Amino acid sequence: MTPANGSTGPAAPEVPPDRATGGVAGPAGPAVPVQPGGPGGSDRVPDSTRDASAKKDYSEYGVAVLLLALGIWAIVDAMGLADAASARGPIGPKTVPIVVGLLLVAMAILLVVDVARGGRGEQEGGEDVDLSHGSDWRTIGLLAGAFAANALLIERIGWPLSGAILFFGTTYALGSRSYIRNVIISLIMSVGTWYLFYAGLGIKLPVGLLKGIL
Amino acid sequence: MDGINSLIEGFATALTPINLLYAFLGVLLGTAIGVLPGIGPAMTIALLLPLTYTLEPTQAFIMFAGIYYGGMYGGSTTSILLNTPGESASVITAIEGNLMAKKGRGAAALATAAIGSFIAGTIGTLGLALLAPVIVELAVQMGAPDYFAVMVLAFVAVTTVLGSSKIRGFASLGIGLLIGTIGIDPTAGQQRLTLGVPELADGIDVVVVAVGLFAVGEALWVAAHLRRSSLDIVHVDGARMTRDDWRRSWKPWLRGTAIGFPFGAIPAGGAEIPTFLSYAAEKKLTKNPEEFGKGAIEGVAGPEATNNASAAGGLVPLLTLGIPTTATAAVMLGAFQGYGIQPGPRLLDTQPELVWGLIASLFIGNAILLGLNLPLATVWARLLRIPRPYLYAGILFFASIGAYAANNSTFDLWLLLIIGALGFFMRRYGLPIVPAIIGIILGPVAEEQMRRALQISDGELSGLYNTAFSQIVYVIIALLLVGPPIVRLVRSRRGGKGTGSGPDTLAGAHAHANAEGV
Amino acid sequence: MPIVVGYIPSPAGHAALTTAIAEARLRGSRLVVVNASRGDALVDRRHSSAEDWQSVQDQLGESGVEHEVLRQVEAKAPADQILEVAQQTNAELIVVGLRRRTPVGKLIMGSQAQQILLDADCPVLAVKADSA
Repeated sequence: MTPANGSTGPAAPEVPPDRATGGVAGPAGPAVPVQPGGPGGSDRVPDSTRDASAKKDYSEYGVAVLLLALGIWAIVDAMGLADAASARGPIGPKTVPIVVGLLLVAMAILLVVDVARGGRGEQEGGEDVDLSHGSDWRTIGLLAGAFAANALLIERIGWPLSGAILFFGTTYALGSRSYIRNVIISLIMSVGTWYLFYAGLGIKLPVGLLKGIL
Repeated sequence: MDGINSLIEGFATALTPINLLYAFLGVLLGTAIGVLPGIGPAMTIALLLPLTYTLEPTQAFIMFAGIYYGGMYGGSTTSILLNTPGESASVITAIEGNLMAKKGRGAAALATAAIGSFIAGTIGTLGLALLAPVIVELAVQMGAPDYFAVMVLAFVAVTTVLGSSKIRGFASLGIGLLIGTIGIDPTAGQQRLTLGVPELADGIDVVVVAVGLFAVGEALWVAAHLRRSSLDIVHVDGARMTRDDWRRSWKPWLRGTAIGFPFGAIPAGGAEIPTFLSYAAEKKLTKNPEEFGKGAIEGVAGPEATNNASAAGGLVPLLTLGIPTTATAAVMLGAFQGYGIQPGPRLLDTQPELVWGLIASLFIGNAILLGLNLPLATVWARLLRIPRPYLYAGILFFASIGAYAANNSTFDLWLLLIIGALGFFMRRYGLPIVPAIIGIILGPVAEEQMRRALQISDGELSGLYNTAFSQIVYVIIALLLVGPPIVRLVRSRRGGKGTGSGPDTLAGAHAHANAEGV
Repeated sequence: MPIVVGYIPSPAGHAALTTAIAEARLRGSRLVVVNASRGDALVDRRHSSAEDWQSVQDQLGESGVEHEVLRQVEAKAPADQILEVAQQTNAELIVVGLRRRTPVGKLIMGSQAQQILLDADCPVLAVKADSA
């Protein structure tokens, strides 16, 4: 009864912390992966490897910088507007952008004070959101890539193909690896919506390469 | 009685087979999408805005009415079966509802939620039908300064009531107002903040903004922090509501309706606070206090009724004044604008068929909802098995179709990505989304009213507050801004007397109620 | 040289568990029970709930077989997770439950049991729901 197992060497099983043995009740929550770093790329990263303290402070100030930039943009743009003498009413097009710009600049300043005092933006939670690890930039990059591919290709190869690329790319980015299934679902989705919009709503999405077939 | 007659005519509109079909489709879609994790009613309507490109306005809004109520109810199904709320208004339902389900009383919890939603929705819609003509009569006397004041109130209320940080709330409002100003200024005809890009001259399409902030932003945010776990779903068995359950439910249903409707009508951050108040009230009034925290049916019946009543209440200011009080209402206002319709006191005169058809279909949608949900809850639960990759792929997919079809241009797709990135960024740094969306959609209207007010006063700033009504509104705004910090100060002086264990939301709600009472 | 059993809360999964316990008793081997899920949906039928998992452990405790239980959520197919555990523990046998599938269903959805049958380095015992 020897198994035909190649790795009969010293395969000393590393026992992960969540392995419950001998009938001890397992943890109620989901178990931590036995081996970190799967193909999905979205595996949980151990908290200890993440530097959460020093880096975060500066990125919070980044919000203030963005608000300041937006505020200054609004004010500068408004200054450039000619106050037409024929303006109907005492208030020209300048007022609102300037007020909004001042609001943004004021909030930028207040935010700097708040962050300096230790205030932090509360990251948005959610039922599918796990805030115990940092942002997964690889997934974001893949998603943005799939999205950009659709934007670039939709008028060249048409929605039935570019939409399928978008859908398939997104499922790939999010770690689904059932390629055959995903290709089939992607094509059904994109061709289906093309027909739905064409027949049901009278909106003609680009047909592209499949012209004459659909 | 005018309202009743108009309502009967509204039913004549809504009861045509094709409109019934749209109402049914709306309820079905709304519930299905509402059940799905991570998708709230605002995102649902945003994703379905492309339907407005070709549908008749009446039919589109009949469908949106169904989605509105369906989405609300879908969220509570999720929160009872899993201990996870589909949307913020279901947080309270999740507490007792899930505990009931775990005790094997899931069917009763779902039933009391469905029947409570139906009763509250029906009474609330009736309230809407009766109240709308009255408010319109008052509203036609409102001048530009009054409107402007009410809009400022909407901005301030939405910003201060929601979220923990007012600075971040106002920052978000500022970003929204800024995006709202992009495009050609309607009075002077000058390009503002367009960077010379011709596609921006018409302003950013509401569909692109709403879908970008809600759908793409959310998808990117969730994708970056994708949870990898499955929750334990509670199996629902056949134990229906008993006679005792009915006896314990009917009062909370009515009380919840009474709490929810007025709160929905004021810009107080949607159904979050009233559901909390309803829960607190039921906990105080119940004869079975020991059951609270262990699955008390009152704790499901009250908040669920409140939730739906506030959804109905939210339509009052939307239809009569053109002022949205929640994100969902803001997106619906965007849909009206997409048709070139500006909701306001004249809407009832100019588009009676649309408004009364919409109200009538709210009644019909409510009845369909009850019929669908009592038997179908377990079917809805199956939707929770959709793997997350498909869910979020679907969101990006439909977001892209909607943005592209708005103007048949790829420019909007790139814009969608940029606004989606903004939505991601806002979620990361705790800037609430709702003030931004209200700022974008209501900002331009507010500017118009302000200019009109100042035009009438010939540039005198007093033109903004020279009516008694606007002065009252500004006092309320001042109380909203100053009130809560003072109340907090007084409380801390008293050494945390009173409900010390209550979370901050409750304190905030009290403070807010005080401010409204003035 | 343990026996690895892939468990899911279904009739086939229970059949696999019962067979695996009998087999472990027969061979005097240790039993490793694996409940593997991709964890990519909010609700996963394959994922054993807390209650269900407790009942599995009760069943194991009553059987008196030396055992180890693993409930894991990883970003890969459950079949790969089970194969990996088998490899790591140097298993002598894998027990899986089978359900009836149409060829089209298998093409589109894939079959975890089939993948285990094809890729395992050790003998695999496949059990149907009604044969236990």
